[in-house]
Amino acid sequence: MRLRGLGVLIAVLMTAGAVQALAADLVIWHGYRGEEKVAFEKVVAMFNEKMAAKGIKATTLAVPYDAFADKITASVPRGKGPDIFIFAQDRLGGWIEAGNTIDPLDFYLEKGITDRFLPVTMDAMTYKGQIWGLPFNFKCVTMIYNKKLVTTPPKTSKELVALAQKLTNAAAGQYGLAYTYADFYFHSALMNAFGGQAFDAQRKPTVNNPNNIKSLELLMKWFDQDKFLPAEPGGALITQLFNSGKAAMVFNGPWFLGEISKDIDYGLAILPTVDEAGGKPMKPWITVEGLYISASSKNKEAAYELLKFITDLDAAKIMALEGRQTPANKGIYDDAQVAADPILKAFRNQVNNALPMPNFAEMAMFWSPVTTAMNSLTRKAATPKAAMDLAQKEVEERIASLRKNP
Amino acid sequence: MSTPVRRHALIGLAVAGLVGVLAAWLLLGAGRRATTGFRAEREAVVSARALAELVARAGAQGDQVRQAVTRFTAGDQSIRSARVIIFEGLSLEASTFPEDVGDKAAPRRLAKEEKPLFDQGQRLRAAAETNREDQASMKEEIEVTPMADGSLQVAAPLSRDGAVVGFLQLIAAPPAVVAQAAPWWPALLAFIVPIALFALATTVLPERRLALSVAGLVLLMAGLLGFARVGSSTLAGDRGAAENAVASHATAVGTRAATLAGELNLAGQPFDPSAWDVTVFSKPYGVFSPTGQVDSAKLEAATVSTVASWRSLFWLLGGISGLLLLFFSTGLAARLWSILVTNRGAYFYVSPAMVGMLLLVFFPFFYGIALSFTGSTIYNTDKSIPQIWVGLKNYTEIISDVKVAQHSAGGWAINYQNFYWTLWVTVAWTISNVAIGVTVGLILALILNIKGLRFRPIYRVLLILPWAVPNYITALIWKGMFHQQFGVVNQVLQMVGMDPVSWFEKPFTSFLACLATNGWLSFPFMMVISLGALQSIPADLYEAARVDGASRWRQFTSITLPSLKPALVPAVILSVVWTFNMFNIIYLVSAGEPAHSTEILITQAYKLAFEQYRYGYAAAYSTVIFGILLLYGTWQNRVTKATEGI
Repeated sequence: MRLRGLGVLIAVLMTAGAVQALAADLVIWHGYRGEEKVAFEKVVAMFNEKMAAKGIKATTLAVPYDAFADKITASVPRGKGPDIFIFAQDRLGGWIEAGNTIDPLDFYLEKGITDRFLPVTMDAMTYKGQIWGLPFNFKCVTMIYNKKLVTTPPKTSKELVALAQKLTNAAAGQYGLAYTYADFYFHSALMNAFGGQAFDAQRKPTVNNPNNIKSLELLMKWFDQDKFLPAEPGGALITQLFNSGKAAMVFNGPWFLGEISKDIDYGLAILPTVDEAGGKPMKPWITVEGLYISASSKNKEAAYELLKFITDLDAAKIMALEGRQTPANKGIYDDAQVAADPILKAFRNQVNNALPMPNFAEMAMFWSPVTTAMNSLTRKAATPKAAMDLAQKEVEERIASLRKNP
Repeated sequence: MSTPVRRHALIGLAVAGLVGVLAAWLLLGAGRRATTGFRAEREAVVSARALAELVARAGAQGDQVRQAVTRFTAGDQSIRSARVIIFEGLSLEASTFPEDVGDKAAPRRLAKEEKPLFDQGQRLRAAAETNREDQASMKEEIEVTPMADGSLQVAAPLSRDGAVVGFLQLIAAPPAVVAQAAPWWPALLAFIVPIALFALATTVLPERRLALSVAGLVLLMAGLLGFARVGSSTLAGDRGAAENAVASHATAVGTRAATLAGELNLAGQPFDPSAWDVTVFSKPYGVFSPTGQVDSAKLEAATVSTVASWRSLFWLLGGISGLLLLFFSTGLAARLWSILVTNRGAYFYVSPAMVGMLLLVFFPFFYGIALSFTGSTIYNTDKSIPQIWVGLKNYTEIISDVKVAQHSAGGWAINYQNFYWTLWVTVAWTISNVAIGVTVGLILALILNIKGLRFRPIYRVLLILPWAVPNYITALIWKGMFHQQFGVVNQVLQMVGMDPVSWFEKPFTSFLACLATNGWLSFPFMMVISLGALQSIPADLYEAARVDGASRWRQFTSITLPSLKPALVPAVILSVVWTFNMFNIIYLVSAGEPAHSTEILITQAYKLAFEQYRYGYAAAYSTVIFGILLLYGTWQNRVTKATEGI
């Protein structure tokens, strides 16, 4: 009698297990905190409701940002890890070269689905002709100014110089413009205005090409002759200067907005055009956060459905208004509520003049030599050309030594 | 044979012989299987490449392609099935796979479940294009996957007009030739003969451990060497047979391809079968000529390389067996056993901690050392350690990096990323920091030890604070204090009438900034140690010295300092090791500025691993750091006999 009961129990459990096996359980890893996390979980809950009939359920897991990339590198190639993960495009090349981490999406993409994204964000997700993820949101640097000190933001570099000089009093520690110009990520906007590049079309480094040097010479002119930039700019210094009203304008990104103190009335504007480059606009590098399907996922089709949902208009609205992100979906900016938000509108306008940061694996070799070069030339220990020539040599050496290995 | 000495030696020879011969025999078997597998792989690759060339000539798309594929697979027993996929339109152009019939027959669009197939093709395309662009052979252009039933799946890219338009997948049937096992009778002889001879020898040899050990070793090596000879010749024969087989297979495939090309009216040059025999990186082996003639010189070279790799493994085996023999014959094994047995209980209690240490300390440590012998980078994390083995290359690169300074038109320029410069900076950093720490700490401890000092607990707490604050925060605050314009230090200098210094512009001032930070951080530790040691010096020593008329300074040098030695010297060793590896301060305060001139070894290793992604090289760097510190610790301990009391 007891055995029969046990047998029935086992049979029930097995069928229940079989029913569960038809459905898909997706796990998403993300590095969000605070309001972004809440908004994202809301979007995923909406997806679960919609897909409840098909038995697809998604759960999110917040993984701390600093360990995120290493955890993915350690777990996914070994068959573990999430089905989907969200990360910026700068590690994309490295993961693709290492293999067994991300699955390309070309097979799934229906015709026209990539049209819903801003073209520049789609470029960030493309590597060697294949599409490896769908863009979720973007971040870029733009001009943030103190409304009390600046009534109309400058539109050209000549206006910028004039205004900044007027508002600078170095002895009192006041500066017209303050930004971490020694960080190449921030300098990229000026470099791109001159048509400079870090890597050429064949993925070879061109750190010291003449356009880059021209942009650096303009930067040094701003620092040395026009004297409206502070020395040794660090992130903490810039924040402190802006919050105490000692910096009239900064070039910074959406991450900065949360650090601005409540009593500063700030406004956003597009980065000015550069007269010395023939009136071309400053084009910052954008960081695009992409949604990727892991190579180790057992439910890739269901994962793709989730990707489609998260990048669609309903989800984008929640991420924009509640998560305070700037989505890569271009249609969302026509929505009345989103269009009325000045911050979202400002970044949307800036992205018209923006370029995707290169996503190749070789980019990782690029930062350290270039940072050294920027530090030495901003301290006037070397001329821009000399410093960049050295950086170019170093980047080439590093890439070569990496290639040399089996 | 009844005496323990003889017994140990005999057991040792038996165990070492058993382990050595058994392992060698298993290795030989594996080697034979590997050669057979290698041959099957190459034959399959030749077939795949031949078919790929045929399909490319047929235009890569269309009816002729289907005919070519069908006829090619039909006439060859060694090929089970093949299919051609073109990327544009996700199209399955041709397929002789049993499931692709009826409404699933080619040509058709790939189904959703066939995504892995498409991805494989894209992988091959990316690999082929990267290899072509970089003129290197880093990515696998041809993928060979063994299947569960012994058949081989070969995937090769299809090019048309210089671009990869699709790929071809071919399933080769399990090879008809099965690998033979290694011959067992040489192994048995290699095991028995040394033991028999040794038994005889013990009757004549003196009963000394040394003599018996030497005799045992000689016989063991002789036996193993004999087996090695047999193994080498077997493997050489196998490899020769394999190369000849591949050559004849390629010629046969070439003839069939030519016939097929004629039947289908495909234009083009005559086929070159030797171009089909390639590695997975599309580099030709070049062992035979287009007409199928095997080049004896190349064959020699190939054979030698196979035998050489087996031989090097064999040397390792010989070494291990020799050590095993010595372990027993020197009586070490017997002694260890008796210790374990008498202290059973103690070892039982210690075992959980030993297991924990094994997993958390020893395994990562030895893995790191193993990694230092490989060329591991971010590009080859999927390969196993033996595949990326480079031996001592990383170490020689580090040690031989002697170009410290270069003479150019503007004077001497120091190469700051040089190992020896970094070593110099690290040593200077350690010495100056420990000197400051010990001096300041000792002085403060002497002050705090003054009898009748008021508010002593308050001073103690204040002076421990630098140690209590997390050093991460300390470093960032000090970095801010050294800011050229807004930093406190420069403000103070200006108040005193001096010029402000741009601290991070020159190597020396940048070093001073880091030194100041770490000095502030390190004196509490020394102070606490010194205080503790000072309070343990009996007061009557000082009493006696005063009575004898010794001056304060004499008291200090003759009583205080020697009494502090047992406490201070281990503290100094600890401090040297900690300061040598003080990553936080250098990384956060100066970050190696300017231009990597204030890097220490550990920050350099970190940047090599996590900014340059050269994991193997960074592991070698870390092992060198460990080696330096180990040498220092041993030397220091010996010189000062620090762990002995006064």
